[in-house]
Amino acid sequence: MRATRSLSGTTVSSIFTLLLVLCITLAFGSSATAKSASSTGDSVLVILDSAKKVDYSIFLQGLEAKGYTVTVRSPRDESPLLIEDGLPNFSHVVFLASDTKNFAKDISPQTLVELLTLGTNLVLTLGLKQNLLTSLAPEFSLLLPPPATPLVSFFPERSDSPSVIPIAFDTKSVPNDTFSVLSQVENKIWFSGTPFALSANPLLFPILHAPAESFAADLSDSPGLVADALADAAEKGGEGFWAGSTLSVVAGFQTLIGGGTGHGNDAGPGEDKQSRVVWVGGPSLFSDEFATKKVVEKVETERGKSVVEKPSGNEQAAMDIAGWAFQEHGVLRIDEVKHHKVNQTDAPETYTTNDEIVYTVKISSFNPTTGKWERYSDLKDLQLEFTMLDPHVRTALPAVRGQKGVYSTTFRAPDRHGVFKFVINYKRKGFSHLLHTLIVPVVPPRHDGYPRFLSAAWPYYIGAISTSVGFLLFSAIYLAGEVKEEKKSKKE
Amino acid sequence: MKAVLLLLLAATAQAAKLAVESAKYSVVSAKGEPTTKSLSPSERSSSEIVRIGQDDILKLSFQVVDTTTKQGVQPAQAFLRFYDEQSGEEGIQPIRVASSGKAKFDLNMAKPPATLPPTSTAPLKVTLLLGSASYHPEKLELFDLYIPASHPAPVHPDEADFHVLPELKHTFNAPPNLPPRAVSALFAGLVLVVPWATLLGLWLAVGPQVPRLFSPNILPFTASLGAFEYLLYRYWVDLKLGDVITYGSVLGVITVFTGRHALASIADKRLGTQK
Repeated sequence: MRATRSLSGTTVSSIFTLLLVLCITLAFGSSATAKSASSTGDSVLVILDSAKKVDYSIFLQGLEAKGYTVTVRSPRDESPLLIEDGLPNFSHVVFLASDTKNFAKDISPQTLVELLTLGTNLVLTLGLKQNLLTSLAPEFSLLLPPPATPLVSFFPERSDSPSVIPIAFDTKSVPNDTFSVLSQVENKIWFSGTPFALSANPLLFPILHAPAESFAADLSDSPGLVADALADAAEKGGEGFWAGSTLSVVAGFQTLIGGGTGHGNDAGPGEDKQSRVVWVGGPSLFSDEFATKKVVEKVETERGKSVVEKPSGNEQAAMDIAGWAFQEHGVLRIDEVKHHKVNQTDAPETYTTNDEIVYTVKISSFNPTTGKWERYSDLKDLQLEFTMLDPHVRTALPAVRGQKGVYSTTFRAPDRHGVFKFVINYKRKGFSHLLHTLIVPVVPPRHDGYPRFLSAAWPYYIGAISTSVGFLLFSAIYLAGEVKEEKKSKKE
Repeated sequence: MKAVLLLLLAATAQAAKLAVESAKYSVVSAKGEPTTKSLSPSERSSSEIVRIGQDDILKLSFQVVDTTTKQGVQPAQAFLRFYDEQSGEEGIQPIRVASSGKAKFDLNMAKPPATLPPTSTAPLKVTLLLGSASYHPEKLELFDLYIPASHPAPVHPDEADFHVLPELKHTFNAPPNLPPRAVSALFAGLVLVVPWATLLGLWLAVGPQVPRLFSPNILPFTASLGAFEYLLYRYWVDLKLGDVITYGSVLGVITVFTGRHALASIADKRLGTQK
């Protein structure tokens, strides 16, 4: 009896340890296969001095909570390399070392641009001192103010220094067809750094404008000298003077597709992969200090003005900016394209001029919360072009009700014959680029493809038919009949 | 928390207030006398409207003073903000303020400053922004300014591609011109009626007799002629040449036999060998 009881005791404990080991492996296994919220990859490299890592802990932990594997590299470290053997080592790179002047050999403007062509997304923060990004920014059509002129604003009135500015995001400043990156941010965003002006480049769009009352200046001089310097800069004309809400502090840049469709089986290496860059005027937007700093505002109540403290929107804004840059939001792809004649289902080999053609496309968008591509019906301005050297037909592709993510239109093929292309070329700021071309021949009608019976030919139809009928009648009468003998044959 | 709020209140209470005094503007045109009006800038939106034309000069002058010491102040930031609410265009122009606080600004439309934004027919809201360390910042609305429209801001040539492009519709060739159906119907009717009326009338006059119409000697031949006409009709409507030749050759063989028989029977009848 005693022996069996001790045996059962050991078996129970061994079963218990086995279960524990199983649970641990399951837990580790599931975390190893967990996908991040990005549609292009999970690995993030943050270029930052290791000593300053604690200053950005909220941002880095937020990234890890979303499923990214974050590696921090000091600017002077030789490894991990950005590009190794022609392939990027990381899917995303965040550059927070804006105060450093000397970098390792493989961190250079050329490497950063090559990363973009290989499909890596970048978040680049500028600093007040000149470094390698100062010469790279103009390549992206950003105009930087002179060094050591941070963005300052005396508005709104606050106890902080004029170079630490709370910026309210105005949803009205984003046009209808641009993706609004910061639409979830409700509170003001603390910012300290340099602004930039945007040249007219449609690939570049502002994400957060500078406040209207702000300007770039060095306030260490006396007010009189500062004012004179600003007036002199404005008189110089052109971009000598940086002020107002036309400046941006965060700007986004989306590359276009060279060929292919950019995602899925059609995505090749090189320019078929799309990448995004976000330029931020200062790394402090991502810092813990600003994420925890409260915004103090004077609010009108019934009892007069009272002072209210609100949290800052920096944590949400940092996640949204990184989320857009890492291709979580605003990512689209074309799943399937079908075309056929009306009342048919299969695509014919050739179309004839004046045919009614039905074109259908299925588009998906990436959902970062589920990590899956889901059909997306909210594109309101999708257009189809039917092109032979120049677009002959350009029509809207509206979404089909009842079918999610399906857009369809019917149009008449032009009466030019030739080799045409169905082209979808959807470019909108903040959204990924949709490009798809399908070549179809359009031939003139065959000899029996023309209308068969014409109203102008009715007399001829009647004539021919009556000739036939008349022949039949006559031959029947002739064959069947008998000529009446004339009674007058009485010559005899 | 409370301490921070109190500190903030203290800081703002310590900061002095700026005020703008003797603000006035005058519009100098090439002809006529300059009209001078005084302004009362305030934080509320202004109802003042100023219109200047292509050859006019707008002269603005004011003095910035400290409300407590009544002394002139030279603030670090004294900007004029021109803002078009319709298009969202904005221009910021710094104003030179002397150390006595007096400021003057001329807007000469013949030589507009580079900071003036591109305009259409909508007015520009003009705001005065004053800021300096140790003073409350001031944002004062001055007036709504109507200036001549300018060229629109230059746009990148690819910019249109990033928005909805105008729809293109192909202009098709006009369908071929047919005469009106009434005319075709009329002539079809004429073609139908006139010959048949003539034929039937003449036949009535002749009065042919057809005793052997349904005789078994004649009828097959008539029927095969009818079949040929039917084949011709089917060819016209539906069939292809290959099918027609097939059917036609079969029918032709039949017709040869029925025809020989029919004509032989007629010949017999005429020659009296058959009754």
